[in-house]
Formats: sequence, C-alpha cells, structure tokens
Amino acid sequence: MAMAVNCATSSSLLLTKPSNKPSSTSLKKTPFLGFSLPAASKPSFQLNRVSKICCQEKTALVPAGQQWMFDDITGPDVWNKTWYPKAADHINTDKPWYIVDATDKILGRLASTIAIHIRGKNLATYTPSVDMGAFVIVVNAEKVAVSGKKRTQKLYRRHSGRPGGMTVETFDQLQKRIPERIIEHAVRGMLPKGRLGRSLFTHLKVYTGPDHPHEAQKPVELPIRDKRIQKQT
Amino acid sequence: MTRIKRGYIARRRRTKIRLFASSFRGAHSRLTRTITQQKIRALVSSHRDRDKQKRNFRRLWITRINAVIRERGVSYSYSKLIHDLYKRQLVLNRKILAQIAISNRNCLYMISNEIRNEVGWKEYTGII
Repeated sequence: MAMAVNCATSSSLLLTKPSNKPSSTSLKKTPFLGFSLPAASKPSFQLNRVSKICCQEKTALVPAGQQWMFDDITGPDVWNKTWYPKAADHINTDKPWYIVDATDKILGRLASTIAIHIRGKNLATYTPSVDMGAFVIVVNAEKVAVSGKKRTQKLYRRHSGRPGGMTVETFDQLQKRIPERIIEHAVRGMLPKGRLGRSLFTHLKVYTGPDHPHEAQKPVELPIRDKRIQKQT
Repeated sequence: MTRIKRGYIARRRRTKIRLFASSFRGAHSRLTRTITQQKIRALVSSHRDRDKQKRNFRRLWITRINAVIRERGVSYSYSKLIHDLYKRQLVLNRKILAQIAISNRNCLYMISNEIRNEVGWKEYTGII
C-alpha cells in the first residue's frame, strides 16, 4: 500500500489503475455494473452534452467524454440501491482461510483481530445479516499469553443450571485442562450473540500444537494490525 | 324500532383486512381477530422502521467505508476521511462513498489520497 500511495502522490489524478475499467466486474462473484440515470440527453454541440439528472429540475452539463456514464440505463441502479450480497457472494468454499500462531500473543488483542476477520468487518462487502467473513485457524493455542497476574487470577466461570452448580477455575487450570477453550471463550465473547453469531463461531478452528488438518484450504497468514499484540518480554 | 340485521357490513370490512394479512404465517392469516391485531402491529412496525431504515443504512455505509479506509494505512480511519472531506468541501455522501468502496475500491483510494494531500498540493502549486 505504501507503493500505491507514492504512485498517487507523484502522478495525481491521471493515474488509472488497471482495475478501473468502466465495464469490469470489480466484484468477483456478481457483476456490479450499470449506472442507471434516466438521461434525457439533448446533444447540443460536440463539447458539452446536457442531460437531466432525475429528481432535479436543472439540467447538468456533461462533457462528451463522460456521457457514457449517463447513457447506459440498463442494469441495476448502482447509486440508489445499497449493495446487498447475493448467494454467490458468500459461498463457504470460496472464503479465505487465515492462520495465526498464538504463541506469546496477548489473548484479548488476538481474539479481537480474529473476531473482526471472522465477522467480515474488514471487508467492503460487510453485511450484518450475512456471513461474509473468513475462516481462521489458531495454532499453538496453549502458548497464548496474558499480562499481569491474569494467569493465576483470571477466573472462568460456568454454571450447570442447578443450584450450587457454579464451577470456577483459573486461567492456569483451564489451560492445563482444555487449552483451546480459552481462545474459543475469548472469541465467542466478541462475536455477535444470536443465530448468525453461533454459525460464525464455527468458522474458528483452534488447535493445540503447531499442526492443523486444514492444509488443503491453503491458509494465509492473518494480517495483524495491532502493534501491542506480541507479549513484551 | 324495526329489527336491523348487521348483514354483511362486518364481513366486508374484515375481508379488506384479511387481504392485507393474506401472506402472514399460520393463524395470523386465518383467524379474524388475530388478523386485525396483526395488521395493526404490521403497520406500526412499518411506520417505525421507515425512520429506522434511514438510520440503519447510514450505519451500514459508515461501517463499510471504515472497513475499506482502514486498509489504507495504520492510522487512517473513517473519521479522518470525513474530516478531510469536509475540509476540502467535497459533498460526497456516505451512500455514494460506500458504493464506490464496494465497486471500485481504487477510486476511493484515489479520492482519499487527493484530499489527504491537500496541504502538500497547495505548497507544491505555490512553488511553481
């Protein structure tokens, strides 16, 4: 991205990146074309063409080079209908898989980044009602770190429902018993609670130890933007 | 007083209401008393949600723009983008920005670079 910033600052407006073709399908799943403006274009002279933009009384002077934007009235109205994903935009098999090594990473910060990627909040196509997020694999879950005295003082509680059925254990004890549950508990608290949240949670795969059975999905390294996620030694 | 039967007056009124609730689920489209209640609730919801719709969509656009803008740099965010837009007096609204962000992400990056380097540009053109 630093390279792109340099290009833009040096050559300003006239820089056209390759994906800026007007008729390209920039969304890889469903075509996202069509500027639909009912243009009553009266070709006055070569340079400026007048077209009436809907809902406005004044006509707009549009230079001839940009008339193509207002000529095409076929297709969906891109500028007045907010994009909503179709079924082809969130097929589970096409979603990216990320992998992250939890060794010496601060628990909460790691869980926050994971939750953001699982929910899809880092995407332009984010929709709260649709699962657009990616899959995340966490390895070395037993080596996750916490700061301060949380290792002996952080309590995990659960209640069986019956009176007197509360069990309390410390971070340490839970890590010895079921290390995956620590990260799962943290991420589940950060995902939305509801039907969609529960199905999002199934996109998280946590493993103790360095290997995982998902080599076929070719997971990519999870991009972490938090600078304080690595434990300061 | 002569005896007056009510006849079909009530039935005519209720058919209209039944037509409204004809696509509801289960008893809500079959039982008369339930139908009247559900029609009232449906209309109330639609009235209330027409106002909420405006709020919800704006939230969605802001979230989408934020998601795309944060990819741009470590400390660049939606709030800074909006501040820059206002400084440059660019009146693009969030709906359009969000649609640009989805369909043509590089275009949004170009816009944000332009307005971000406004001070730099002014110095540049001042030198020439």
